[in-house]
Amino acid sequence: MTTTILSIKNKEGRIQKIAPYALLLPSLIVLGFFMFWPFLYTIYLSFFDWNMVSTTKEFVGFENYIDVLKDPVTWKVMGNTMLYIVLLLAVNFVVPYIFAYVVEFVLQRMKGFYKSAFFLPAFISLVVGSILFTWILNPVSGPVAIIAGWFNITIPIWSKLDGWVIVVITLITSWKIWGYHFILLFASISGISKEVIEAARLDNIPLWRIFFRIVVPMSSSTGIYVFIITIVQGLQFAFTPIKVITQGGPNYASSNVIYQAFHEAFVLYRTGHSAALSTITMIIFIFLLIVEFKFVERRIYYENK
Amino acid sequence: MKKVYSLMFLLLLVTGLAACTGEKEESSSEAATNSEGKTVIEYWHVNAETQGGKTVEELVSSFNEQSETVEVVAKYNPDMYKGLMQNLQAEAAAGTSPAVVQVGWAFLDYFSNTFEYTEPQTIIDQHFPDDKTFLTDNFLPNILDLAVNNEGKQVGIPYSLSTPVLYLNKDLLREAGLDENGPKTWEELKTFAEAVKEKTGKYGLYIQEPADNWATQALLESNGAQMITNGKATFASEEGIQAYSLWADLVASKSALHIGWDQGVQSFIDGNVAMLYTTIAQRSNVQNNAKFDVATVKSPAWEGKQVKLPAGGAMLAITAKGEEQQKAAWEFMKYLYSVESIAKWTEGTGYVPPREGVADAENGLKQFLEENEMMQAAIDQMDVVVPWTSFPGDAGLQAEQMLIDMRDQVLSGSITVEEGLKQTQEQINSLLQ
Repeated sequence: MTTTILSIKNKEGRIQKIAPYALLLPSLIVLGFFMFWPFLYTIYLSFFDWNMVSTTKEFVGFENYIDVLKDPVTWKVMGNTMLYIVLLLAVNFVVPYIFAYVVEFVLQRMKGFYKSAFFLPAFISLVVGSILFTWILNPVSGPVAIIAGWFNITIPIWSKLDGWVIVVITLITSWKIWGYHFILLFASISGISKEVIEAARLDNIPLWRIFFRIVVPMSSSTGIYVFIITIVQGLQFAFTPIKVITQGGPNYASSNVIYQAFHEAFVLYRTGHSAALSTITMIIFIFLLIVEFKFVERRIYYENK
Repeated sequence: MKKVYSLMFLLLLVTGLAACTGEKEESSSEAATNSEGKTVIEYWHVNAETQGGKTVEELVSSFNEQSETVEVVAKYNPDMYKGLMQNLQAEAAAGTSPAVVQVGWAFLDYFSNTFEYTEPQTIIDQHFPDDKTFLTDNFLPNILDLAVNNEGKQVGIPYSLSTPVLYLNKDLLREAGLDENGPKTWEELKTFAEAVKEKTGKYGLYIQEPADNWATQALLESNGAQMITNGKATFASEEGIQAYSLWADLVASKSALHIGWDQGVQSFIDGNVAMLYTTIAQRSNVQNNAKFDVATVKSPAWEGKQVKLPAGGAMLAITAKGEEQQKAAWEFMKYLYSVESIAKWTEGTGYVPPREGVADAENGLKQFLEENEMMQAAIDQMDVVVPWTSFPGDAGLQAEQMLIDMRDQVLSGSITVEEGLKQTQEQINSLLQ
């Protein structure tokens, strides 16, 4: 008797030990196949000269990395990427934060309307959006140019001007992602207990101080999430209008690191160059991630911790 | 933070998948037959629904109805000719291949160096003695030459053809007091564009600026410049610089518009540009949407010089393996090149018919051309069509990209034409070595 009970117990114990791993397995397979393996393969490819077609790859050591670092285009694209990040953060992190606060605590009516109106573009494909904006913002004959013309303003030919092109592409990208960021921040802000805010109001604390001293700290866990996806997803979403409208031009003025990696690999078939650029980008982002964990993550307020 | 990686991973995964197909075993390339005993072959094309895809379907199903021996399956490849090349690569690595494929002109050398194909004439000679002179009877020699690679082989047969033409906004030209029939030469065109700017305040000209140098080549080579001589870039010659300067000067004086392709064509259609230099493939778009008196004329010449227009579009090549498949491939191709099929193809896509005897035939395009006069200009300039230059070797695409980058630099005025062309030529030549 005792032995059978023991063996059953053993069996249960074993199942309990294995079960978590078994349950993890599907996602491990997916992650491994779609993330880690391609990641390693990228690093592998970055040491070879290969045109994606030929059956042989030539080992070139660090030559791709040296090429990438010596290429002035790389630095131009890095600079563009920084500008994209700054603009994306301003438009898709700071502004929706403020809007969410205003809609939740300041506005008294029409909240539902704002919520759905802001979120609506998130449903529409960015390819379609890009094509639409190409027309709407056509500096010669688009509706915006016509209206501007009534006031004797000429729209610059933004798609061919350094700087301008990044601003407009950021705005088109924002059109797509802004609503989602707004909803996330709104949900977080409306989760803050009303008593705290009411108490502050009774004490006649100005709205901007309530925002900075109460709302931001108490919604910081969502805040940091939106901060990160603004950078990370924003750069990816910008890919679509770049591809549709400028193909990285004029002379790389609208390219960011993600588009450039695509361009090198799938337009010019310089796989090694592209992989080296991707790997360098990865290293930069890993570095930023460590910085984020060290200095920011500790100060974030998680409700359930 | 993980999200940033996931996109990169995804991109690279595609790379990875392309690579791992290389490990698959070779499968047998025996001729497939369907239940009725017909030989089944695949036809690969790049025509999305809106770009002639419906016509492909029509042609294939009407072929299948009338053929007793062959059944064709059409397969659409996204991302144009480049996408098709990539899929063909994967297919070849797996040891199989479609029977008939569309190959874009830019991929002529690349295709013939990379893939197994059979020259159409070889198959004709082996199995179809009646068609021995089909090619020479029906195609202009300069058109057939478009599909000849650098080793002198007839890789395929021209199928989709386009050339650049000059679209005119006649209303705007009249308003500026100009001849509504447009300029005949580039020199004239320059004075036209400047006059339009001066008299109406609108733009005189837009030359297409997509991610290739097709129109640039037409402009430069018509002036006697050569994009490439014996495998070396030679566009920075005196003629090349002169031709490019005309464009750059017009942009600098705001007589010509410098903008992306979509927006440039839109601006012409909206009546803000008097002359549009772009492909005939834009005809139906312009014709259906322009609200003014619109016409096309042949590509302008340079004073006293021979016009040379690069061909856009694609050829059909035979990648079928095995006798049955190859015979079926020619039977299908011959059907596609019949007067009726080519007429349908032209109507459905806006390309120019590659073969003779279609334009004025009752069962061809006679009626269509009467209704769509704007097509005529492109048909009239078929005799001056030359191959579209592709730079040789692995760095060829990079060389092409350098010319695109230079175009933006020159037209934005950040570099002079002479500097730009000479520098770029040097860079390309050191790259091609």
